[in-house]
Amino acid sequence: MLAAVDAGQLAELVWVALLAGVATSVLFATLVVGATRATDLRREGRHAAATMAMAVSAVAALACLAGMAFGIAVILSK
Amino acid sequence: MDSDIILVIVVATALAFDFTNGFHDTANAIATSVSTRAMSPRFAVALASVLNFVGAFLSLAVAATVAQGIVESDAVTTTVVFAGLIGAIAWNLATWYFGLPSSSSHALIGGVVGAAFAASGPDAVIGSGLVEKVLVPGLLAPVLAFVVAGIAIVIAYRIVGRLRPGPVNRGYRLGQLATGSMFSLAHGTNDAQKTMGIITLALIAHGDIPANDFEVPTWVVVSSATAIALGTYSGGWRIIRTMGSRIIKMDPAQGFSAQGAGAAVVLTASHLGYPLSTTHVISGSVMGAGAAKRLSAVRWGLAGNIVVAWILTLPSSAVIGASVYGISSVFGSGALGPIVVSVCVLMLMASIFGRRVSRGPAITAEA
Repeated sequence: MLAAVDAGQLAELVWVALLAGVATSVLFATLVVGATRATDLRREGRHAAATMAMAVSAVAALACLAGMAFGIAVILSK
Repeated sequence: MDSDIILVIVVATALAFDFTNGFHDTANAIATSVSTRAMSPRFAVALASVLNFVGAFLSLAVAATVAQGIVESDAVTTTVVFAGLIGAIAWNLATWYFGLPSSSSHALIGGVVGAAFAASGPDAVIGSGLVEKVLVPGLLAPVLAFVVAGIAIVIAYRIVGRLRPGPVNRGYRLGQLATGSMFSLAHGTNDAQKTMGIITLALIAHGDIPANDFEVPTWVVVSSATAIALGTYSGGWRIIRTMGSRIIKMDPAQGFSAQGAGAAVVLTASHLGYPLSTTHVISGSVMGAGAAKRLSAVRWGLAGNIVVAWILTLPSSAVIGASVYGISSVFGSGALGPIVVSVCVLMLMASIFGRRVSRGPAITAEA
């Protein structure tokens, strides 16, 4: 009965799911940090640093959106 | 004439199962969003309902795979399907009553396995299929989600830990809109298809559509999507409360990590062709997000009850499915058996819900 279980596929599932979950967490946390820091820096009048923080936040947001688009593509391809 | 009546009963029962599925599993997608106040309960349930409805239309490729590879196809008759559905509905309602999240898919598979066993004996059940499609995913899903969510929240706290909590919480609440929506969409595509598959199987068995090269009729798609959306909109507040605040009291970052890690696990598994139960995944990730912050934050007694419910899902729904098949068979192979069972089930449900209505709503969104 246990022969029915594909160990290779299970291992792939474990590491890909770990990577995807951790990447989601890192990207969204970066988005939040970037946006929060940008607001604080702008309030302090440090506009160049605020723009940089906003750019980092925007890149993280784009990556999150790409992840969501990939998720929808996975749902559609089933 | 008899087969026409059985077909109508099977279709109605399948739609009732679809309703309980939406009703029971609403919590998977929205509970953490409600408990962290990312969404109001009404908005969360409405959003989940719409996305479940939309999700049901997105993919029709494998609408007839329920119990495929688990039960021999020649053992599946309309009466077996009917008995399996009753087994799944009964287990869904029982776990809803106790506020325990459990897998509707496992309940359906258990019901059909039990009914097929009663109809054709042990040879009707494919043991290797059960191990591959039910037991291994049932063990893997919660453990994997627990670990992924645990690591995700530790990393999130490390990155945002020194910031003011106000903007961080607002950010994570916004993020939960996206992760909750993804979960609802995935649930709609997965679970509404099971009902479409069951109805399509019944139509094939009845000879209404050809077994080879068939298409799921439009009325089946629309009615399945509507049933799951209505069930979702009705909202099983008991399970929402368990998932959202009774396992752990979570902050928005934990809610996002649980939903985000859960969505990552479910979608990765789908991409690799390894469908996991959304209930098992989100329950595991909620516990993981809590335990990573502080082990004692998780109410382990309640978590134990949930695991016991998961273990009991397959055998319990199988026993109910087998019993329903046995009772139906007492009345012969015609429509009388399913009619008698349907009437008994409706009377039982009316009695349970009538008692609940007369006592007033036991649990509300604010409770």
